[in-house]
Amino acid sequence: MTEHDNKTTSQEEENKTSRRDFLKLAGAMVGAAALTQLPMAKKMSAARASGGGEGTGHQWGMLIDINLCIGCQYCTFACNAINNLADDMRYCVVTTETTRSGEEFFLSRPCMHCDEAPCVQACPVAATRKRPDGIVEMDYDRCIGCRYCMVACPYDARVFNWKEPIELSPQSPTFGYQEVPNRPRGVVEKCTFCSHRIDAGLERGLVPGVDHQATPACVVACPTNARIFGDMNDATSPISKALAEATVTLRLREELSTEPRVYYIPPESHTDNPFQGN
Amino acid sequence: MQTDIHIPRFRFGKKTVDIFPYWIGLLALGILFGLYGAFVVLRDGLDVTGLTNKVPWGLWVVMDLASISLGGSAFVFGVIVYLMKLKRFEIVAKLAVLLGFLGYTAAGMVIWFDLGQPLRFWHPMVFWQPHSLLWEITMCVILYLGVLSAEILPVVVEHSFFYEHPLHKRYPIIKKLVELAKKLAHWLHKLVPILAVVGLTLSLLHQASLGAYYSVLNGRGVWFNQSAPVQFVFSAMSGGIAFLFFTGVIMFRVMRPGLVKDEILYDVARLSGGITLLLTYLRLWDWAVTYYYSFDVNITLQTEALNAVAPYSSTFWIGQILLPIIAGAAMFSAKSIKSFRYLMVFSLFPMAATVLTRWNYNFAGLIAMPTYDPYTPIIRVSSYTPTWPEFAVATLVVSYWLMAFSFAARYLPFKGPDAAH
Repeated sequence: MTEHDNKTTSQEEENKTSRRDFLKLAGAMVGAAALTQLPMAKKMSAARASGGGEGTGHQWGMLIDINLCIGCQYCTFACNAINNLADDMRYCVVTTETTRSGEEFFLSRPCMHCDEAPCVQACPVAATRKRPDGIVEMDYDRCIGCRYCMVACPYDARVFNWKEPIELSPQSPTFGYQEVPNRPRGVVEKCTFCSHRIDAGLERGLVPGVDHQATPACVVACPTNARIFGDMNDATSPISKALAEATVTLRLREELSTEPRVYYIPPESHTDNPFQGN
Repeated sequence: MQTDIHIPRFRFGKKTVDIFPYWIGLLALGILFGLYGAFVVLRDGLDVTGLTNKVPWGLWVVMDLASISLGGSAFVFGVIVYLMKLKRFEIVAKLAVLLGFLGYTAAGMVIWFDLGQPLRFWHPMVFWQPHSLLWEITMCVILYLGVLSAEILPVVVEHSFFYEHPLHKRYPIIKKLVELAKKLAHWLHKLVPILAVVGLTLSLLHQASLGAYYSVLNGRGVWFNQSAPVQFVFSAMSGGIAFLFFTGVIMFRVMRPGLVKDEILYDVARLSGGITLLLTYLRLWDWAVTYYYSFDVNITLQTEALNAVAPYSSTFWIGQILLPIIAGAAMFSAKSIKSFRYLMVFSLFPMAATVLTRWNYNFAGLIAMPTYDPYTPIIRVSSYTPTWPEFAVATLVVSYWLMAFSFAARYLPFKGPDAAH
């Protein structure tokens, strides 16, 4: 009875809004806000613990040897052909850059498929996701076209579909045929590491990175074998061997802690990694 | 019972003319032009805009942010009146709710056109991604728009139409709807303290996140400053309350003399001035931290490039620092200035600074971005010019705002018939 009375009086007190009530409420709100951060922290620490290529199962990665790249752009053309892209839409971009000593070299840049991908954290509808095998994929039926991911990506790896999809890519059939469905106008698109090839290839018992049908088109198209693809969890895969052999590798804008999955072998004149401060 | 509303009239020779119909006609033309632009955008997609892959956000995003921030007085005055119980601001708070409602609906309209897939606007409500700041902002803005709608209904039903009108007798259905609206408004008015708390929480969350969603993008130099969330909250308060003062003088002192005491309007000006000064102080320190203690070579490079090439340096130093200091100090001493004409002019500067902050955040980070090459990164400067459909949609939204505000200014009494509450 007394308990009941106490309750009713406290309820009555609560009904009178006062500054103290407001402070209480504000405190509760802050507490609630802090609680929402917990699952995020857990998830992030889990992602960090798995790290690049240390998770279970297949962990896809790519290595690009800058010394072998001749700037022919076959990777871009093959990519455009199988994704049915117009020339002004490029998932894979080859640019000419200079070293500190002024030598020119070619830098080809697919999506980095970062482990801490800024685009994945930016997307308001979870249309961009990180697959368990490390590929950052898009759900084109879910994307609302807000373009926050484009603003978030430090590598310019994302392109917006400004126009209606084209009939036939100018690079097709020379560099291949369309392999994936067209995306609607108004969504953001990106490199998929040719996940359709990987998934279909694994079902047929092929080895991505070794068998051409299961390997990204850009890797297959490269005439100098500058690109190596494979499972970073498998010590016998071409990429694991190449990474073990390489004396120095670097990843682009490593200082941002995005943990990219695309590694580069720097030009021979640069045996240091500019991001590691040695 | 009802407030006397003085309608401004213009004199042409001997005639005095009520320009209201012509003004509304002009705005209707603006809306028609805007609707045509909107149709073009929806038919041809965002390809008709000046946006590119390098500069994917433009005029519309800035307008969205600006109208959200200029509606920022609603949550402040909800707290002042219903939690701090400073009842003398109640009538001003009604105007703040109106400004909030108009600002947030305008923001919703403009951002809808900015989506590549406008028909999927509901996706954030269904497909949750709680790690995304943009998702949080979207949810907060939607919920807060609900709060504002609940807060504005009691203000609207104060109009005499809801008490006496020939239409009530002729069409009983209208009478029934009016009664329902009044009942709902009465019920909602009782909930106002709760709405004020919810509104405060949602506003602080999304106004701060609007700053944070730039500052988490650490690949872009100028955006990577730690105090952006705090700055955005204070900036929305400073600009939003300045806007409230500006419109308040028109609404109350010019059109409804005697409804709100001059002292109360001075207090509004002082509040805006004080927050403006505080914000400018914060902003100076933020600049110093970003500029001097930046540990990242790319960010230093970008900040230097922005100071050299972008309009960042002049707009920042003049528009965001110098003028707000002068205007903030003037508004803070409103009770010594005692001139509404000067104070209205001064109140334009915090408003301009609020919009400029959004403009600078949006463009400074977008047009000058560090390249990703490993050895000799440079700052690539892109360009962006809005095209006519972008201006058309902007005209549509601005015309909508002005038209709704004009009708409210002319017809809403801002004083209920039962002056008890």
